[in-house]
Amino acid sequence: MSRAVVLGGGLAGVLAAAVLAGHADEVVLVEGDRYPSGPRPRRGLPQSHHSHVLVAGGARALDALLPGTVDALLANGAHLRGLPGDALIYSADGWFHRLHTDAHLISCTRGLLDQVVRRRALGGGDVEVWEDTRALGLTGDEARITGVSVSRQGAPPETVRADLVVDATGRRSQSPRWLAQIGAGEVEEVSVATGLAYATRLYQAPGDLAAAIPAIMLHPGTAKGQPARGATLFPVEDRRWIVTLTGTRGGEPPTDEQGFTAFARSLRHPIVADLMAEATPLGVVRPYRDTVNRRRFFERARLPAGFAVVGDAAVAVNPVHSHGMSVAALGALRLREELARHGLGPSLFAGLQAALAAEAERSWRMAIEQDGERVTERAGERVTERAGERVTERAGLDGAPRREPNAFELEIRTRLAQAKLSSPRLAADFFGVQTLISGDTATDRSEIARVLTGRPEPLLTGEEAIGQYPVLAAWRRSRFAAATS
Amino acid sequence: MSLRISEAVIWQETGEGVSLYNTETGDFHSLNDTGSRIWRLVASDGEREPVMFKLSREFAGSNSAMSRRIVADVEEFLGAMIEQGLIEEIPAEEPAVKEESLS
Repeated sequence: MSRAVVLGGGLAGVLAAAVLAGHADEVVLVEGDRYPSGPRPRRGLPQSHHSHVLVAGGARALDALLPGTVDALLANGAHLRGLPGDALIYSADGWFHRLHTDAHLISCTRGLLDQVVRRRALGGGDVEVWEDTRALGLTGDEARITGVSVSRQGAPPETVRADLVVDATGRRSQSPRWLAQIGAGEVEEVSVATGLAYATRLYQAPGDLAAAIPAIMLHPGTAKGQPARGATLFPVEDRRWIVTLTGTRGGEPPTDEQGFTAFARSLRHPIVADLMAEATPLGVVRPYRDTVNRRRFFERARLPAGFAVVGDAAVAVNPVHSHGMSVAALGALRLREELARHGLGPSLFAGLQAALAAEAERSWRMAIEQDGERVTERAGERVTERAGERVTERAGLDGAPRREPNAFELEIRTRLAQAKLSSPRLAADFFGVQTLISGDTATDRSEIARVLTGRPEPLLTGEEAIGQYPVLAAWRRSRFAAATS
Repeated sequence: MSLRISEAVIWQETGEGVSLYNTETGDFHSLNDTGSRIWRLVASDGEREPVMFKLSREFAGSNSAMSRRIVADVEEFLGAMIEQGLIEEIPAEEPAVKEESLS
């Protein structure tokens, strides 16, 4: 009888367990926490109070794994917002036009998403769930994992035999240590610090605006030498909004009532602060600082057979990129494909971890390009990687590559960045990549040539951008009229 | 065969020489003085022979050894540009010059 054990009952673990249920005679899901009875935050999931969105690529993967899940989320109050068609976005380059593309996001609390997914993934009884159970280590040797050692509800350790152990324990994964304990090779790890902190608060939204509001994103500006500060506001279920304020070192958002409000008011545009003033706070402001991008290259290690790592335990990107849940779903889908091809047998293991890592590659690349120049290798060696857009500089006949972009390059970059605010084709490219539904950035080369040789589109003012959303514009007008009467 | 600058290339004269942006690849290139001179000649003349003739006359005068070296350098440069898709070779009867610049 074949058995698979999944360590960690978060989204990545639940989806992996559901996939494995179609291939193993028995699947055990080991979770250190107890699941809440309703759509509420979970004690063992520090992120669960914060904003979670499922981007289009992840939503599609989730629906492929568990058909009807997105509809179930929407029926339970989640919101779908097109990008940038249903989103008021003030990027560093300007306000986006209201352009309709295939890119979108699903917004709800993490508690609701987990509950809906758990019901559909585990409700059939094919997965045995061991709550309040701690994973203590792996059993086996450098060639083959034979099981896992666990403690159930504080009981003495017991060994559970398994043909496959999947680590889905997230950022705090102990797998590198556990592998070392049984003589397996070292796992290379890379961290890219972001210097970013954020703080989140839920609000009860006013009636007219609660569900009609676009997603709102105020990105940091381009001022150099100052902390980058921004905000998002997403509608979630039960007529609530979730507001997240972000800031880099020296500009971290405060967690006290006044400071939180003042921070929102100090941003490049007051729209989020104005909406917060109109809504009723629910609970406290919650901070979060563990935003480092961290990748453990299990696929490069000589992993024992019978072992795989999914989700944040392998590749954890800064949560501000909103990719974590989506990459987990894409990874589970890839696991299903690999199991369909190889079955739960020896031929599965040779390429499994590389296949899983490939699903996280796009997200990882995007995160480290956006978040920083320095990649710190844990082993002590420092490697500098160029941040920012993909720019290859080459010299002429006898010149050396230049380090700094010249005025021509800066102008091209600015023109391209501003063109995507109003070009439907470039916006579709950009948000397709951001939401993990397309594989490479700016593939529409003829449109790039057109926007660079044509007359630039004028940038929208804040009022023009808000005016694209009649409900929001009407609310602003009434608020202004009330304030001046 | 004539030469023309690829339609995928946006280019501009800058204080440092010629700067290029390849819209197909997203790559930037910056040419040094010699590369910039050749590039401008390709843009204006669109043929190998005039480019080589003008550069030889300009830099080698009557020195045949220097002239051969210049021809080899220009061939090498054009080969690299053609390989990277920045300059195209076309049959002689087609329009030889296509300029795209920032408006």
